[in-house]
Amino acid sequence: MTEQDPKAAAEAPKEAAAPAEKPARHGPPIVIAEEVLNERGEQTAAQLASTLGTLVLDSAGREDNPWVRVDAKELHAAAKKCRDGEMGMDMLNLMLAVDWVDRIQMIYVLYSTTNNRKVILKADLPAESPAIDSLTDLWEAATWYERETHDLFGVDFPGNSDMSPLLLYEGFEGHPGLKSYPLNDYEEW
Amino acid sequence: MTTEPQFETVDMMLNMGPQHPATHGVFRMVLKVDGEKVIDVIPHIGYLHRGTERLAEVETYGQVITLFDRVDYIANLNNELAFVRAGEQIMEVEAPERAQYIRVILAELNRVASHLLFIGTYAIDLGAMTPVMYGFRERERIQNLFEHVTGARMMHNYMRIGGVKADVPDDFVPWVRQLIGEVRKGVEECDKLLSTNEVFLGRTRGVGVIDGPTAISCGLSGPSLRGSGVPYDVRKDDPYEIYPYLNYKVPVGENGDCWDRYYLRMLECYESLSMIEQCLDQFPEGPIMAAGRRIARPPAGEVFSHSENPRGDLGVYLVSDGTDKPYRVKIRPPSFCNLVGLATMTRGSYIADAVAILGSLDIVLGEVDR
Repeated sequence: MTEQDPKAAAEAPKEAAAPAEKPARHGPPIVIAEEVLNERGEQTAAQLASTLGTLVLDSAGREDNPWVRVDAKELHAAAKKCRDGEMGMDMLNLMLAVDWVDRIQMIYVLYSTTNNRKVILKADLPAESPAIDSLTDLWEAATWYERETHDLFGVDFPGNSDMSPLLLYEGFEGHPGLKSYPLNDYEEW
Repeated sequence: MTTEPQFETVDMMLNMGPQHPATHGVFRMVLKVDGEKVIDVIPHIGYLHRGTERLAEVETYGQVITLFDRVDYIANLNNELAFVRAGEQIMEVEAPERAQYIRVILAELNRVASHLLFIGTYAIDLGAMTPVMYGFRERERIQNLFEHVTGARMMHNYMRIGGVKADVPDDFVPWVRQLIGEVRKGVEECDKLLSTNEVFLGRTRGVGVIDGPTAISCGLSGPSLRGSGVPYDVRKDDPYEIYPYLNYKVPVGENGDCWDRYYLRMLECYESLSMIEQCLDQFPEGPIMAAGRRIARPPAGEVFSHSENPRGDLGVYLVSDGTDKPYRVKIRPPSFCNLVGLATMTRGSYIADAVAILGSLDIVLGEVDR
């Protein structure tokens, strides 16, 4: 055995592990939208930034809907600050999960009925066993949204006492909201 | 005289639905009752889950409009409007003025049709068989107009991202004017028949009360929220289309009981009819479709847009990855959120009132389950 052999052996699996080239996409190139806030949105964004302070990881927005991305562990704290602070976000308007395959993004749309302003909170969860703190203690509306997201995306919400299936039936296997779930060829009920 | 129980009582679970005429579709609730009193309500939904949101990810933007027709099948045009507005925001196009007027006229007519259906079926829930005949008679007139304009009575597929499919027929304006006169008379008839009826008042006044802050926390919207005295209406608070140019009031209730929720819908019928008249007075000529490519291929990004559905705040969160199919479509279904408040409203009332309370929320199960 020469000295070069182990070197070559170490390099060989490295090459094999390199990801395969994605086949070229047909159709026109992808354009990425510019995110521009209007005047009202800038005001809300400034207010939101001062409310959340160092919790903000990333922020942008479109029209009058600014969004901020926070750490998944800090989401409950951030939401509580938005609700109780001067922002007065008393309504959880919408909550959804987006399956980006490598991660699951939780999006919360908060609305203030007194100030008539909307903000969007985002948090990234790992694709493997995603979990995020429940917001049921802040807004009652979160109860059903969280059960729905648990059904369709398999996200766990520690703090929500009732995680029984809401949209799916008892004993359904899999999470049909995920991109990996087949759209056909599944077992009919 | 106090009514202290003389003996031990046992709580009983009473199943109601999913095959029950008073649940307006396949909705099931399990009532925990102590005699006639409801202690707790456990709603069960999902019998009509069709996976609309997941299905929308494999359809092109034009095809998704047909799915939205089927989400809330009582107010199809309002739902189409919600999706095409989200599509327009992400594509950064604006529908021409005439198209916006056509959309608003049709959406408001559909709101009246939806409320008429609610008034009729709500009266049936409470034991009055007549109003539904009046309600359906007027709703039928509106659907005849829809058939004339869009070609279909219910599943219209009429609106497009950037405008509408086709211009309205030549006799549209006189037809709608005549229709408004007839429908207004019909609404007045229902109003006279029900709103001051002693039995109806007895069944709805002070029943199913929910206060404003709780209603907001539960995420209620539309007449269900405004009944509790919160003046939240997307048409006023986040104006879209031509609503800023119309003169109208948003009726707001005080007590948050079933009667308030019912009567607000009655008042909204009058407001909508007057809005349509204003639209007809201002109805402009011009193109009905924005210039641009016929295939929607928006840039990658995301947008949240919402509009006022007869049942409340209908939101659409659209995520695009730059292809001709949406990456994720999330619907904020107003009926789904209104149902969250059902347990709070029903606790402590009688079993017969549970029917009245559920009816007053005006749910559409197609939208609750999607």
